[in-house]
Amino acid sequence: MSACDVVVIGGGLSGLVAAAAAAERDKKVVLIAKGVGAIAVGSGSIDVLGYEAGGKPVARPLAEMGKLPSNHPYARAGKQATAKAFEFFLDLCEKGGFPYSGSADVARWVPTAIGTLKPTCFLPRSMDPAPLEAAKAAVVVGFRGLKDYYPELIIRGLMQVPAYPKRFRTVIVDPEMAGRDVNALDIARWLDTESGRHACIEQMLTGIAPGNVVLVPPVLGTVPNYGVLEEFEKATTCKFIEITGMPPAITGLRLYDLLVSEIKKRGVRIVEHATVTRAVVDNGRCTAVVTHGVDRERTHPARSFILATGGFYSGGLEAGVGSAREPVFGLPVKVPESQSDWSNAFLLSGGAQPFARFGLDVDARLRPTDGSGKAVFENVYAVGRTLSGFDDAFEKSGNGVAVVTGYRAGTLVA
Amino acid sequence: MDSVTVVVIGGGATGTGILRDLSMRGVKTLLIERGDLASDASGRFHGLLHSGARYAVTDPRSAKECIEENAILRRIGKHCVEKTEGFFVRLEGDGEDYEGQWVAGCAAARIHAKRVDLKEARRLEPHLSRRAVSVFRVPDSAIDGFRLCWQNVASARRYGGEVRTYTEATGIERAGDRVVGVTVCDTLTGAVDSIGCDHVVNAAGSWVGRVASWAGIEVDVKPDRGVLIAFNHRFTNRVINRLRPPANGDIFVPHGPITVLGTTSSPVASADDNVPHVEEVLELLHNGTELFEDLPKYRILRAYAGARPLYSPGEGRAASRDFTILDHSTDGLRGLTSAAGGKLTSYRLMAEKTADVVCRELGVKAACRTAAEPMVEDPPRRLVTRARPFFPPYGLDLAASRLGAAFGPVVQGLQMHPEERRLICECEMVTLAEVESAAREPTTFNLGDIRRRTRMGMGTCQGAFCSLRAVGALVSHDLVADKDGKALIRDFLETRWKGIRPVLWGDQIREAEFQREVYAATLNLDGTAQR
Amino acid sequence: MKGYLYDSDRCMACTSCTVVCPVAAATREFLGPKMVGPALSRFRRPALAPDLAADLCSNCKNCDISCPSGVPISTLNMLSKAEYYRHHRHRLRDWVLSHGQLMGNLATPFVPLSNLAIANPISRTMLGAFGFAGRMPLPAYVRKTFRKQFRALRQQSFPQKVVFFPGCYIDFYDPGVGLDFVAVMQANEYEVVVPRGLGCCGTPMVANGFPGAAERAVRRNVRALQEWTDAGVPVVACCTSCSLTLKQEQQELFDVPGAAELAARVYDATEFLLELRDRGKLKTDLKQLSGRYLYHAPCHLRDQGIGRPGFEMLGSLPGLEISDADAGCCGLSGSYGFKGDRYEVAQAVGDALFKKVRASGADAVISECGTCRHQITVATGAKTLHPISVMRRAFE
Repeated sequence: MSACDVVVIGGGLSGLVAAAAAAERDKKVVLIAKGVGAIAVGSGSIDVLGYEAGGKPVARPLAEMGKLPSNHPYARAGKQATAKAFEFFLDLCEKGGFPYSGSADVARWVPTAIGTLKPTCFLPRSMDPAPLEAAKAAVVVGFRGLKDYYPELIIRGLMQVPAYPKRFRTVIVDPEMAGRDVNALDIARWLDTESGRHACIEQMLTGIAPGNVVLVPPVLGTVPNYGVLEEFEKATTCKFIEITGMPPAITGLRLYDLLVSEIKKRGVRIVEHATVTRAVVDNGRCTAVVTHGVDRERTHPARSFILATGGFYSGGLEAGVGSAREPVFGLPVKVPESQSDWSNAFLLSGGAQPFARFGLDVDARLRPTDGSGKAVFENVYAVGRTLSGFDDAFEKSGNGVAVVTGYRAGTLVA
Repeated sequence: MDSVTVVVIGGGATGTGILRDLSMRGVKTLLIERGDLASDASGRFHGLLHSGARYAVTDPRSAKECIEENAILRRIGKHCVEKTEGFFVRLEGDGEDYEGQWVAGCAAARIHAKRVDLKEARRLEPHLSRRAVSVFRVPDSAIDGFRLCWQNVASARRYGGEVRTYTEATGIERAGDRVVGVTVCDTLTGAVDSIGCDHVVNAAGSWVGRVASWAGIEVDVKPDRGVLIAFNHRFTNRVINRLRPPANGDIFVPHGPITVLGTTSSPVASADDNVPHVEEVLELLHNGTELFEDLPKYRILRAYAGARPLYSPGEGRAASRDFTILDHSTDGLRGLTSAAGGKLTSYRLMAEKTADVVCRELGVKAACRTAAEPMVEDPPRRLVTRARPFFPPYGLDLAASRLGAAFGPVVQGLQMHPEERRLICECEMVTLAEVESAAREPTTFNLGDIRRRTRMGMGTCQGAFCSLRAVGALVSHDLVADKDGKALIRDFLETRWKGIRPVLWGDQIREAEFQREVYAATLNLDGTAQR
Repeated sequence: MKGYLYDSDRCMACTSCTVVCPVAAATREFLGPKMVGPALSRFRRPALAPDLAADLCSNCKNCDISCPSGVPISTLNMLSKAEYYRHHRHRLRDWVLSHGQLMGNLATPFVPLSNLAIANPISRTMLGAFGFAGRMPLPAYVRKTFRKQFRALRQQSFPQKVVFFPGCYIDFYDPGVGLDFVAVMQANEYEVVVPRGLGCCGTPMVANGFPGAAERAVRRNVRALQEWTDAGVPVVACCTSCSLTLKQEQQELFDVPGAAELAARVYDATEFLLELRDRGKLKTDLKQLSGRYLYHAPCHLRDQGIGRPGFEMLGSLPGLEISDADAGCCGLSGSYGFKGDRYEVAQAVGDALFKKVRASGADAVISECGTCRHQITVATGAKTLHPISVMRRAFE
């Protein structure tokens, strides 16, 4: 394969941001992706730091980062890079025609499909919870047959949130869909069409009034722009808020499409459906990575490599009985000796999960280190969930760490 | 205070079998169970309906009982038995002498064991070890323990039998040398009550000793723990037994889309201890790999543990699995019968013998009819044909089997309300209509109860998608009492987690990370919302 | 035993495949790849009657491209289709569509009569009755197949050889592409070999549920190519479905000795040329070109894990203005869009691409895949080219 400056391994959020940041510095970048990454599993909101280690909500994430242990990815990336990374991200979205807003120093609480509130920082305008916070009452719109989204569940949940008194009403829109089961993507595609939008608006207007705050599932079009939102706002003079929900998460998909198109604009070459299986190393440097299909191996030489392969789910880390490994470079992953110490007795309580914190230890330049703290390769950087030292699900920090470390690595590569 | 003739304590196969037997003989009977039906040993075993061949050498009497009961259950329990047949496989290095003894033992017990040509065996079961040297075919089958208990109850209800789940017996009331009732506690609300009766049947499985002790009687039932692994795929279409003296990890049983590997055997202090340990799982995998060489590559769904109630002086696997019916009038107390020991395959016989004792004491003359009548009727063919378009491929036959009498109403619902056809559980093909039908049962209180009736949440994603969907739908239809549904989702995921935690590597750790991305990172089910 | 039994074990039910599936986007009758592939595959072993849930799958492989777990979803679908047709009769139409080689051998000696026989209104009506899409014209047969023309060709001999695998589309409908390939290789001092005995790669048979015929095709090709693969000579195809099958699909589905060795030598033409360029083995004094082109990446190229080498090559040709349409699947998927009951789906799938083509104002649309080009031309009237045809102008 043609030589380039940087090979990014992994097409999730951290890899896309890393590729964009490197390309912004006029690096010739190749991004190798096995699949679509985990972006669409999440909601596309950039959660920065929702909870501290003890489980207390964090009001000012950026300020709280100063208290994090030194092996936390935010601490590794440093305060300056963290702030710049978010600026860079906001700029990317702006240029892509789908601006996000927010601040890393203000926690915002967005409603979810099970009626909880989730702390986050950066959001597309369609998810901004501010109108809901200010309102005394709200309307929850449901879609007939949509199987991952239940207005009553959301309402019952939000009614339980302390100091969050709201009166809720429900409006059900019938998309009149036959055939297979209906998911959020089907509704979003329906609203991509003019006839779908008109039918939806018409049905909503029977139950909403001008000035209402309206909660909707993440269905306001599949494309990363505010076309559907603006048309809805204009036709109803209501405020619409998209709720975070189950995969397929349309709000996450929009962010994915936006970033892919932005990195293409910046000349990044994407190799889809290719799995990097090993690296070619020479005297403390990586000279190339090798992909392996069913047919044969292919070599991808570069000057620097960014490892953005994710955690266990994405295959960036692999676990056997009592051991874990990083499959591309064979980098060390520390785990407790006894398998029973890998996890807590409960999945969703009792603090951070040990296995969620497994990953690669890195130096201040995000280069994976050996047991002594020394970088294993001078030109290999690791980003996102592949890193050790944080439980993104518990902290609510996954996308934030991906943006910050991705950006940081993109600015460090030669 | 309610009053019935007989109270049966324990909602496993034996208890529900006794309920059915007594009800069919016209005895007014109530069964109480502290959790859900089949929530202990009857739902926590390998699901093998023995042909008896496994006991052909070690326990000829059990072998004979098994083959007789096996034939009966295939007939009356069509909708909980999968007639898979079984293979006994001797591997290189396994003793040839034992094979000879085993063949003779099968013949003596009248178990039809026929040698299968090795090439044919490999064609039928291509994943089987290349080291197989002898293969025999026997009439083993797979049986769904949850469904067995429910269908016993469904049958009993037609004869007036009643069931109260989440009702724990806390004491036996006596007047002189006679039993007059039981005290009970609602395990969900804590409310205390007592039920008057003439007779109490103690069918509490591993807890038989505890129940008897309330009457001051000692019954020495020892719980013997067995751990099992459920795999994501059906990699064998037959029950596969290792042809050697019974040992740990040498039985594979296919169930619908999955395969179960079992079991271990170790005495435990308490049958309540049903969390499997990593070491037990590894031992099973190690032994199982001898029969299926690719086993380490197959995805595990979860591990689980149950306790066999062993009633005998000995310990562990060497002990006889025979059951014993204890008429406690010999201990000076009339109106208490304990059914101790036993195994699932012969549960019906054990129920029959227990009911015989009870009826003799009550002066009831009616004879046992449980072997003659099917537990549930076949759904009418026309109804099945009409229902086909409402289900995904394979969904219809699964639903027709598991729903029993509820099949008709469910099909009607699906026809009238197409949105009820949506699949709440896409791994096990469970429609919304079925989930709702299970939720409407008066004995349903949580997603686990729905799971045991429908298999919802028992497949690949282990609840990642169906928990939210099921709770959302139930909340929308006012079918749950829970104030916001979150506790239902959390409890369900946590019970699934108990089985995933001991197998947290490979694809299970990936699924666990995925579940946390959805329920913790995206939906914040775990965090507080202080504002 | 092939690995798919436990490969579907890797499915996390994440729904990524359902999101990218163009057929699921176009019709609500298709349950989507996750359901039809990994989810139902768990029930197929115990089932007595095989199902036809995968019948709407066009085998475009976008599910495989997107899967974060590496599950060969489309292959699971093809296997279940094959199992179904082991127990059920095929439609005559599907037999015709999947045996293009045989049909081509029968039809080409009688061109133009055979084309007229297919294209006249009466026989179109009759074809419609057999389940062909009336509005989707079948491509016209050429009078002289590629192989016939190749045999008549006078090549300059060079020590460096390359085997060309023509495939049915180039052989019977579009021989010019093959001749362009020969010309480009000759210009770069390669001699092109087309061994006797090569036939259809097998992919249309796989897609229509004829696994036996497909396996026979694979065996024949492996045999015909063996002497060359043993000698280490690269095997190149200009059709991306052929190259994908030779590299991957035949290995996933069948256990043919020599298939792995062959796969290791197979290249898509543009991939081969890009590698030569990167190794400094291509001519550099290229002719100045002109024109504005739109590039469409075939799904079966994207699935190969090699990026978009054709697009990259074209971008480096002097004077050429080229942009990536990036508009997803064209919808035709080999034989799929020719079927009467699939036509609407195929057109809906291709709609985004057609819009992009119409709005582009490009001089021509460039794409490696012959049936993609056919679909684009029929739907939009746009002129279409294989990248190799453009390259020929620069190299000669």
